Amino acid sequence: MASEDDSADAALLAGLRGVLGERARDNDFERGLYSRDGSIEGSPPAIVCLPETAVEVAEIVRICRRHGRPFLARGSGTGLAGGAVPVGRPVVVATAKMDRIVEVDTGNRVAWVEPGVLNLDLSRALTPLGFHFAPDPSSQQVCSIGGNIANNSGGPHCLAYGVTTAHIAALEVVLPSGETTTLGGVEAEPAGLDLRGLFVGSEGTMGIATKAAVRLTPNAPSVRTLLLDFDDVSEGSAAVSAIIAAGLVPSALEMMDQRAIEIVEAFAHAGYPTEAAAVLLVELDGLPGGVEAGVEIVREVALKHHVGHVRVAADDEERALLWKGRKNAFGAVARIKPDYYLHDTVVPRSRLTEVLEQVYRIADAYDLIAVNVFHAGDGNLHPILAFDRREPGVDERVKAAGRDIVAASIEAGGVLSGEHGIGLEKRDYMGMLFSAHDMYTQDVVREAFDPDGFANPLKVIPTGSRCSDSFHQHVPEGAWV
Amino acid sequence: MSPMGEQGGTVSTFPLQLDIDGDTLASCVACGMCLPHCPTYRVTGEESASPRGRIALMRDVAERGEADAAFVEFMDACIQCRGCETACPAGVRYGHMMEITREALAAQTRYQPRLRRLAYRVLGMPRLLGFGSRLLGLSQRLGLMRVLSLLGRVRPFRQLDAMTASLPRVPVRQAPLTASGDDVWLFTGCVMDAWMRDTHRAVQSVIEATGAGVALPPAGAACCGSLHLHAGLASDTRRLARKVMAALPGDTPILIDSAGCGATMKEYGHLLGTEEARRFAARVQDVHEWLAARVDELPANDAVAPDAGGPGAGSGAQRPRIAVQDPCHLRHVQQAHLPVRTVLSRFFDVVELDDDGLCCGAGGAYSQQHPDVAAAVRERKVAAIERTGTSVVASANPGCTLHLRAVGLDVRHPLEIVAEHLKGAGD
Repeated sequence: MASEDDSADAALLAGLRGVLGERARDNDFERGLYSRDGSIEGSPPAIVCLPETAVEVAEIVRICRRHGRPFLARGSGTGLAGGAVPVGRPVVVATAKMDRIVEVDTGNRVAWVEPGVLNLDLSRALTPLGFHFAPDPSSQQVCSIGGNIANNSGGPHCLAYGVTTAHIAALEVVLPSGETTTLGGVEAEPAGLDLRGLFVGSEGTMGIATKAAVRLTPNAPSVRTLLLDFDDVSEGSAAVSAIIAAGLVPSALEMMDQRAIEIVEAFAHAGYPTEAAAVLLVELDGLPGGVEAGVEIVREVALKHHVGHVRVAADDEERALLWKGRKNAFGAVARIKPDYYLHDTVVPRSRLTEVLEQVYRIADAYDLIAVNVFHAGDGNLHPILAFDRREPGVDERVKAAGRDIVAASIEAGGVLSGEHGIGLEKRDYMGMLFSAHDMYTQDVVREAFDPDGFANPLKVIPTGSRCSDSFHQHVPEGAWV
Repeated sequence: MSPMGEQGGTVSTFPLQLDIDGDTLASCVACGMCLPHCPTYRVTGEESASPRGRIALMRDVAERGEADAAFVEFMDACIQCRGCETACPAGVRYGHMMEITREALAAQTRYQPRLRRLAYRVLGMPRLLGFGSRLLGLSQRLGLMRVLSLLGRVRPFRQLDAMTASLPRVPVRQAPLTASGDDVWLFTGCVMDAWMRDTHRAVQSVIEATGAGVALPPAGAACCGSLHLHAGLASDTRRLARKVMAALPGDTPILIDSAGCGATMKEYGHLLGTEEARRFAARVQDVHEWLAARVDELPANDAVAPDAGGPGAGSGAQRPRIAVQDPCHLRHVQQAHLPVRTVLSRFFDVVELDDDGLCCGAGGAYSQQHPDVAAAVRERKVAAIERTGTSVVASANPGCTLHLRAVGLDVRHPLEIVAEHLKGAGD
């Protein structure tokens, strides 16, 4: 069996080398490096491809098809749901070398970019023109536009501006057939079905984006960032709903609990109050008058909820420091334990307090440490379970606790994922939210793009959601499903 | 550009014992926040050229107890700028892990060939280094380097071509420095003293402008051992460190005008593990740190005539603009990059680059050993400098200065710029 695998891999490698030269790699070290993303799962691909052009991507896809081998696209490898984890010895198509901003078209307020462009690099390049790319995941400095598209990524500022799909006008994609096509368009209302909208968030199961027209968002003339601290988590989460109820839509409304505050402060030295039970990071932007009025409304609401202090960042430097803390929170968890499992569920804002309490109870029950830092404004929870994978049996406890957290969120009227995607991690939880018919329908849609199951197989939709003989996804022997 | 080079054929492994403790290896959660701050990842887009990737590889080798040629290439491709440490939310000690890895490679494999070890050894021999440098300077002027470069086309000397091309023009004759007191030591080092003594001269004049007297180190303090440490030759570094410490006894502050040397000398305590070394390391300061605490003792800017010399000197209230390029070992290792601004902004408008302190590609001897990667990394830095629209660049490390000058940029030590400005005022 192994030798058959080896000779199949060798033929495939020879084909890929014909297109990519030494940029098709099969050494153990590099296969190991591309075996995982930012999640806790991992299994090595057969071959790693490092294309530099869309034409090469299309060639790779066609060669994979000829050899009957699935493929999967990878951006910066920071995904948290295992979407870029290879399953069943596929070919990894890493788009990091495709990092050109091809054209900035201020007339149409779009920029055409390659998928490997980093989110923050794009916004920085647009700054002198007075624009930015609005979705700003915490991993903004490293995550790629291609990855943002695959996961329909969010970020603190998506509360007011909307998630990635609202900021992608058009996509050039290599379909699982190997053909290249354009979905959507830069004109206001492209004709026909919104296939672009379907592709965004499809986690690489409908093909590989090789170029995107991203919408440019004008930079706000005035920005204020406030830090509110509370002695009580429930007062903090009640204040979240109260701010929205007061008629404000802050550009960002984030919450951190005490453990999160401690680890973030240890990294960022931003003056976060480490003795507080919770803090809210509130950002308002717009015209100066409106922003200042908003600051007063937030202050009033916070006082009603027994806020400790209301700190208004004095300048851009202080704002940047506060955000530096927030955006590095996940990695900083390593200050407590070397591994973390990060969940991403959404609950109705009004139920935040009770779900948070449940998260703490679940973590306690499994003897784990829970850290909470999340997008409170849209009810998008990010409970982090910190652990050390070298402890025997801890993997099972972590996964069981994760499952309980997902169940609790869904029970409170929430959903599986806010922005990280389903990937591998939550694939098997889909049944908790969707009926068999729902999943069947989703799979039929996926199949319309990829009838033979070549593109990032065994992700998002659980196996067995359709009758097995009509279910064409490639399931190699011995694959871990 | 690939750190891998040619592939194929059977992979031969060899035993390698990597003594990095498990907790240190486990401290990286692979979040990837380091990637954009890694110069080699930036120019390759490859995991194997990233800090996250290299740590994963170290973990792998530490567990298996064996490595192969690819592993050596991946490790050797790191510039050791440590920009990843500044970016790391978890405080992972990447530089420490890389030093252990390089040391294991140098001790257990032929990672550092004998010829290169000898070359490193010469750095600690000031007379030989001085002689060699004069010879080099002379050769450059007589066109002999062209011969060496041609020789580099022949297989056994293949590296010579790139090396000779990337060498700076070395002076043949330099006037000696003269001590002026005993308030501070000015550490002069190896290559910098042999090739760029005028920088020391300028630094000395700025220190003296505060009213302090400068002592010059005796011959024993010849080389800090920084390049050796990066090459995995830590035992050479320890040997040089002991000589440096013996040559500079007492409590007098030791001022360093080369970021790479300062970073290593501040680590002597950790390297030697003795109380004496820790006390010595505590005396080491980057010269800008020392000056920033005494910036009021420098002549006030209004004493400087508006039409005085100095780069970009304008008339009236317009102050000259200086772009600051932070050497990695000043910003990411010593975290002493802000004092440079304190000193410069007394006289100039400081202009920041927008690249978060990304490495310029010099990396001590790196630019000689990996000229292609170093040049690709430099392109990004050059673009960042061009975006400032400023023509004069201050950089407090000889390696960065030479590497950036090689593409025609006007790069000088910050205190050379200050010294020239003060001189203009005094005339």
